[in-house]
Amino acid sequence: MEIIRTENLTHRYGIGTPFEKTALDGVNISVREGEYVGVIGQTGSGKSTLISHLNAILKPTEGKVFVDGADLWSENKARRIETRFKVGLVFQYPEYQLFEETVYKDIAFGPKNMKLDEAEIDRRVRESLRFVGMGEDCLDKSPFDLSGGQKRRIAIAGVMALEPKVLILDEPAAGLDPKGRDEILSRIRDYHKETGSTVLLVSHSMEDIANNADSIIVMEGGRVRMHETVDAVFERADELIAMGLDIPQITKVFIDLREKGYDVRTDIYTIETAKREILSKLTGGASRD
Amino acid sequence: MIKDITLGQYFPGASPIHKLDPRTKVLLTILYIVSLFVIRGGWGYFVSAAMMFVIIALSRIPFGVVLRGIKPILFVLLFTATFNLIYGTGTPIFEDVSWLGWLTWNGLRNAVFMAVRIILLVIGTSFMTYTTSPIMLTGAMESLLAPLKWVKVPVHELSMMMTIALRFIPTLVDETDKIISAQKARGADFETGNIFRRAKALVPILIPLIISAFRRAEELADAMECRCYHGGNDRTRYKVFHFAARDALAALVMTGQLALIIFLNVVT
Repeated sequence: MEIIRTENLTHRYGIGTPFEKTALDGVNISVREGEYVGVIGQTGSGKSTLISHLNAILKPTEGKVFVDGADLWSENKARRIETRFKVGLVFQYPEYQLFEETVYKDIAFGPKNMKLDEAEIDRRVRESLRFVGMGEDCLDKSPFDLSGGQKRRIAIAGVMALEPKVLILDEPAAGLDPKGRDEILSRIRDYHKETGSTVLLVSHSMEDIANNADSIIVMEGGRVRMHETVDAVFERADELIAMGLDIPQITKVFIDLREKGYDVRTDIYTIETAKREILSKLTGGASRD
Repeated sequence: MIKDITLGQYFPGASPIHKLDPRTKVLLTILYIVSLFVIRGGWGYFVSAAMMFVIIALSRIPFGVVLRGIKPILFVLLFTATFNLIYGTGTPIFEDVSWLGWLTWNGLRNAVFMAVRIILLVIGTSFMTYTTSPIMLTGAMESLLAPLKWVKVPVHELSMMMTIALRFIPTLVDETDKIISAQKARGADFETGNIFRRAKALVPILIPLIISAFRRAEELADAMECRCYHGGNDRTRYKVFHFAARDALAALVMTGQLALIIFLNVVT
């Protein structure tokens, strides 16, 4: 079933000032329930503007946004706030929004705004803490005493605690070391598998998305350039490169092999398929896992 | 939303007003304010307002922007006008209607003049910031206050502080927008409830904002130290100001305006 749809979504910043800029230009996307979608594009391609429309933080200049079949801006304000609990949005560098005295209170901020009872809040705080892989011993600490990566996880837990149908994350791995990045991304993947919720992951790094997503939305200059399965997107690797996007290292290796005259596929983006492809070529077509 | 504040905003451009030496603009703005307080009669206000229209036209800043700048002071404006109206003395407007006896010609006159004065004051001062970038403005301040160095006033340091403060206003506004969005995404509600509830709702915005301001301050201090910054003597400027013919012309026009106002005061 379709959970998110936009129709001709357009957004202009600073209308009537010398700084007017079209950030989104007639965007049509559709996301099915339970799907893991990667949103990719260069800085300034409109990724962040797009996702801010999906939970009614930004109002479209033109066009419509539907969540769960309902048009967000034809409804009253109370219903729009409900949407924010249905579509959980984790902004870039979410650790800068922490404000409470303890980690527990900070994660509980969202559920409290939902007016849930104490027992339910407590369950959600502990559950989302588990999802981001933090021990319960940190619950009474001040969030400001934690490390950068830990703060980020607490902030993500704060949104997961809303138990949204759709979880959107804007560059959740930005500025983390490779270990921290893998950790966060695998936590998000586990969350997606376990809860069956829809996940939108925004990134400018293909590597972050390729291993996890079912489909990819590629954005450039405020428009959607591609919206296809991961395999289909990687078959057009040359177009991605032309857009200034970085493709995974392993894909580059196979494109180079092809250029050197080897008859290999180039839509390869995981180490596992790469291994299989090489082995099958070495053994002359007989696949051997 | 929060980005819509226009007071103290800079609109880049290449108009004759933009090109004036920032020092000229600071001095002439002061002169304009002085002239507003010298005015005694209606003709004086007419001259002042005409002057303002000429400046607006020359600067090529949209008139809508100028009007938006007045919006924040609307309350002060109404307040002042109302009190001037009520506390007027002299002949009532409607001499036959006893319950309107408080409404006098004098009061009406004062109310209108006061409102015009405040509007011109606000437009006049905002025009300095509309057409001058903050960096130019603090540069002008530093240059104009330079004589105070003789009495050991740290002019350079003060202007550096002002530059930094101005420089960080847009950054902090951006930051505030981001934090508001992030807390809204967690269901925070800033728009309903009584004043106490609303004040309490600001805590999730203010705390992250203050923390980030401190973080930025520390980072900036480190960055300045790494570049061996030290203020004060013997620093030269990247952009050196030069008075040009247009500055002399502007000064002449503005002084002419003041002279005309004084002349009008004397004859009427």
